[in-house]
Amino acid sequence: MRGALRPGARAGLVGGAVLVYLALVGMLVKFEELRLVGSQVTRGRLLLVLPPFAASFFAVRPRVIGGRVEQPGPGVALALGAVAGALVGAVGSVGLALVEAIGVERIRPVFVAVSPALVETLTFGRGAAAGAAILVVGGAALGAAGGIWRAIRHGLRRPVEVGLLTVVTLAMLQRIVPFMLDELRLERDWLYSRATRGLTWTGAVVVLVVATAAAAYVLDRRERRALAPAAEGRPEVRGWRRTALVTIAVVLAAALPQLAGSIVSEIMGTVGVFLLLALGLNIVTGYAGMLHLGFSAFFLIGAYAVALLTGANLVTAFGLVAPRFSADLNFYLALVLVVAIGAAVGALVAAPVLRLRGDYLAIVTLAFAQIAVILATSSWLQPITGGPQGLRDVTKAPLLGLEFRSAERFYYLVLAFCVLAVFVSWRLAWSRVGRAWNAMREDEQVADAMGVPTGRYKMLGFAIGGAIGALGGALFAVKVGTVQPGSFEIIQSITVLAVVILGGLGSVPGVVLGALVLLALPGLLSQLEEFRFLIYGAVLVAIMILRPQGLIPNVRRMRELREEERTQDAWQQIFAARQEREAAEEAAEAAP
Amino acid sequence: MSEEATTVRRLGRVERLPTRRIVLTALSLGVGAAVAYGSYRTLTLPAGARYSGSAWRDFLVLGIAQGAVYALIALGYTLVYGILRMINFAHGEVFMAGAFGSFFFADAWKESGFLDRRPLLAVLLLVLIAMAVSVTVAVLLERIAYRPLRGAPRLVPLITAIGASLFLQNTFRGLFGAQTRGYPKPRVLEGTWSILGIPVQRVQVIVLVVAGVALIALTLVVARTKTGKAMRAAAQDQEIASLMGIDVDRVIVTTFVVGGMLAGIAGVLFALTFGNISYFMGFAPGITAFTAAVLGGIGSIAGAAVGGLIIGVLQSVGPALLLTGIHVPSPFQLKDVVTFLILILVLLFRPGGILGTGEAEKV
Amino acid sequence: MSRLLEVSGVVKRFGGLAALDGLELHVEEGEIVSVIGPNGAGKSTLFNVVTGLYPPDEGDVRFDGRSIVGLRPHQITKLGIARTFQTVHLFANMTVLENAMVGQHCRTRSGVFGAIVRPPSTRREEERIREVARRSLAFFGPRLAGYRQEQPAFVLSYANRRRLEIARALATEPRLILLDEPTAGMNPRETLEMRDHIVRMRDELGLTVVVIEHDMRVVKGVSDRVIACDYGRVIAQGTYEAVAHDPQVIEAYLGRRAVG
Repeated sequence: MRGALRPGARAGLVGGAVLVYLALVGMLVKFEELRLVGSQVTRGRLLLVLPPFAASFFAVRPRVIGGRVEQPGPGVALALGAVAGALVGAVGSVGLALVEAIGVERIRPVFVAVSPALVETLTFGRGAAAGAAILVVGGAALGAAGGIWRAIRHGLRRPVEVGLLTVVTLAMLQRIVPFMLDELRLERDWLYSRATRGLTWTGAVVVLVVATAAAAYVLDRRERRALAPAAEGRPEVRGWRRTALVTIAVVLAAALPQLAGSIVSEIMGTVGVFLLLALGLNIVTGYAGMLHLGFSAFFLIGAYAVALLTGANLVTAFGLVAPRFSADLNFYLALVLVVAIGAAVGALVAAPVLRLRGDYLAIVTLAFAQIAVILATSSWLQPITGGPQGLRDVTKAPLLGLEFRSAERFYYLVLAFCVLAVFVSWRLAWSRVGRAWNAMREDEQVADAMGVPTGRYKMLGFAIGGAIGALGGALFAVKVGTVQPGSFEIIQSITVLAVVILGGLGSVPGVVLGALVLLALPGLLSQLEEFRFLIYGAVLVAIMILRPQGLIPNVRRMRELREEERTQDAWQQIFAARQEREAAEEAAEAAP
Repeated sequence: MSEEATTVRRLGRVERLPTRRIVLTALSLGVGAAVAYGSYRTLTLPAGARYSGSAWRDFLVLGIAQGAVYALIALGYTLVYGILRMINFAHGEVFMAGAFGSFFFADAWKESGFLDRRPLLAVLLLVLIAMAVSVTVAVLLERIAYRPLRGAPRLVPLITAIGASLFLQNTFRGLFGAQTRGYPKPRVLEGTWSILGIPVQRVQVIVLVVAGVALIALTLVVARTKTGKAMRAAAQDQEIASLMGIDVDRVIVTTFVVGGMLAGIAGVLFALTFGNISYFMGFAPGITAFTAAVLGGIGSIAGAAVGGLIIGVLQSVGPALLLTGIHVPSPFQLKDVVTFLILILVLLFRPGGILGTGEAEKV
Repeated sequence: MSRLLEVSGVVKRFGGLAALDGLELHVEEGEIVSVIGPNGAGKSTLFNVVTGLYPPDEGDVRFDGRSIVGLRPHQITKLGIARTFQTVHLFANMTVLENAMVGQHCRTRSGVFGAIVRPPSTRREEERIREVARRSLAFFGPRLAGYRQEQPAFVLSYANRRRLEIARALATEPRLILLDEPTAGMNPRETLEMRDHIVRMRDELGLTVVVIEHDMRVVKGVSDRVIACDYGRVIAQGTYEAVAHDPQVIEAYLGRRAVG
């Protein structure tokens, strides 16, 4: 029996560690403020609920024993889950006890997140002893629920999960959705409470039921279709459905500022700029298969180039001055030049390093980007770039008497370019050029031997990626009106990389979705900003380990990564089997 | 086939040019000329504007001291690369973790006076604490982020490592706050000692001694002990090593432990030298140390040490030597540019590094 | 007949070991030449040097009268030398048809502009690429036809992967094709089929063929001339009968076998 509960204990301890981590890193308290459903369900509590539930869900996972997949029965699942959940709570209680013993004021200088508010959250305002009891008992209950949850048939579980996710998402979008409903003159009080700003209980239940039913219907249909023999023909030929989807997406995107107001337009404008970057990176990394860690360099180049070409000013101690080199071109003329500069820089910088192996190439791109930022900041180039203060008074991109600085107008400007970039990406993917990239990504040497000039195609990838990236930079400069080196740090490159990886390398819809999830959500969900990069880091790690093909895999990559998944599963099975064996050996030693 | 006649099977004259060789030659000539010109102009500046001999000496000593720290970090990259063929991008954060972990003790001991009363013991304890923290982070990193990805295509663990790096940075930011903090220094270590008649910062002496001892210890471990032999075997060929009864997983963990220990030491030394720490402090030294590892020849222990020293010195001497003469204001802002340029040039001209095995050149 | 390929005095060393040690050979236009020799004799290295994967340390390789030493592999492919690999190297996640279409890359020109705007010329070219790719797949009759063309390459059987690799090489519209052990891992029936295909490459497509082969039935069945190598040198050449009875060749094979 002891051996049987071991996975529960292990998962429980890990879950406990996660709980402590969430508390210490400050998420629990920060998230507490937002009420999701009624006044009972807050985001902090949701976060508190997750570790025990997830721990037990994980503890009860099917195992491979002797080559067979074995799913624990409901009884075992319940017990395992409860153990795991209770342990999570226990670890939390121990933490609480430590805090009580040492005193919040003495811990705080080290762990800045430990505060009376944290203790309040963890004890539900009922004092340490009661709080600990709630943690353990509640943990056990949640764990049991998690265990049972795993035992439920997949076809039943999935739709409910989608339903719950919909409720949570709607609740989190409480700053946006009610506004949109008002704008559409729809009744909203049944759904969103004016007092808590979150969902009402009635609303939550209705949404849950509707979303679950819809998900059940869609998933069932999809499953049946997957079982049916595959239709023949190229994806492109079968594309009318996609055309319809794209049209709907574009229409929705175009209507967004009218529906959602200027906060959303503001956020989506920024998302659009980064989406452009991500589409550029997708060409370099997703299509041509070269990891680029310094993509923000193109962002920087685009922004500075457009600023200098359209006559922005330097900030100096003596007021605004014209930079050493500058022109006073029309924005759209300058844009053509900027795109050309981006392409040229991309190609030229890449030229000497093309023969390097992938990981070295990646580090070199990072080095180039860092050089660009350091130079832009330096006193040496200050007369041109403005140093740390940068440039001001960037053009408002006037076109036929319209200026594009306001959130709504800028949104349309950037939307137009995003649509263009998506179109270009798609056309490239299904062309001779895309095929050559694809072959090169699969096996560079063989592609070369089959007549693909790999060096030239790598440069081409960098050039096109660079052009799109520089375009993004130029638009960013228009949006913000100033250009400062601080906006182009390495972190931006990694953000863009996370977008592409999360969405799915080489998949245009994936990149769009990735941008929405990683960039729009933190903007729309309040207080996420602080943990944004923490989450990006976690996303990168988690995606690579759990779902390397991304959310919406590229058609080709899907096949490739499924293979990888298979090998990975094999690895995991080997590890699982070994752990099993070790456990058995330990048990044998313990009971002579 | 029927299109025989239309098929072009010729190459243009331009196509036949050895483009790569031309680009590389031009580049090396350009770099050489720039270095020569810059140094010449700096050294022939009028007496008043010139750096004095003692200034150059100070640059050199500082360079060697920071080079020793880079060497310690670089060893972490080199050891891991040797076995897993992966760039552990998060190693800079392992280093940062050590510095941060020891900070709270250093701070408390400064307050209680222990740091000034028993400086030697205190610094030793700080180093041990930093090692423990760094090792913990390194081992967790391996277990959680890298182990599930054994055998995955090369770029996958690199992306994971970047994610882990970002995650660790922001974890420390969340746990301990975003502000830069001053790292206390025992009073004994202020000022200079005279070594062979040259005044040297006391901190730098300590840095050199500790780093030297650590390097020697590591060399002995790798060369003499059974663990070291297992590490070398696994670096040669993991599969064969495992067939020979070596537990490769354990060797890999050991490698991360050793790398973590060295990074922890480096963390304390770096903090003592530069006097402050922040959650972001791992990035630049990390990249610099990686450059050092590549420069020395990745996978080679001696290479990491040599590479570290060279990079350290180039960083402290290079900007002054190359840029002062051509009137670039505040040349030391550009010291990381020097590092990155070296990285790029090494990878271009000698990807195997100075003492490398040439492995990097294999396709 | 003219000399299509001429390898003279080629030396290629790996560390201290000379994989090719002053190798001399030539191939006439329209010939089928078999290269045989024990493992490690330098046969695959020869292919790698000819196709530009390895630069030779010494010596010259001339194709159609011009030196091709120092050219990149894709340039050599464009000049009209195509190859297959000893261990099959396909673009595993591209479809069978796409694999063959990649072969046409060096015979077509449309670039980024064409891809984005898709003018009529690009569409025509794309049609042509598809057409040539289909035709090279059709070289193997029903083996690579129909629904298979839309499947990713990694689902193919081993023999079909070999066939696809050859089809991809044919799609480059070469003059000279280098086949590295085309029947390795095939069953006897497939092997005989491949033997006929090799002869057809010359007779129907007018190609010159150099084939590295271990199966002596194939060597005997296809070769106009056999070249035997050992230790990076040619030790015998001529008709199959002559080479098969050459004492040096027998020693190269049997001598090794006695030791092994």
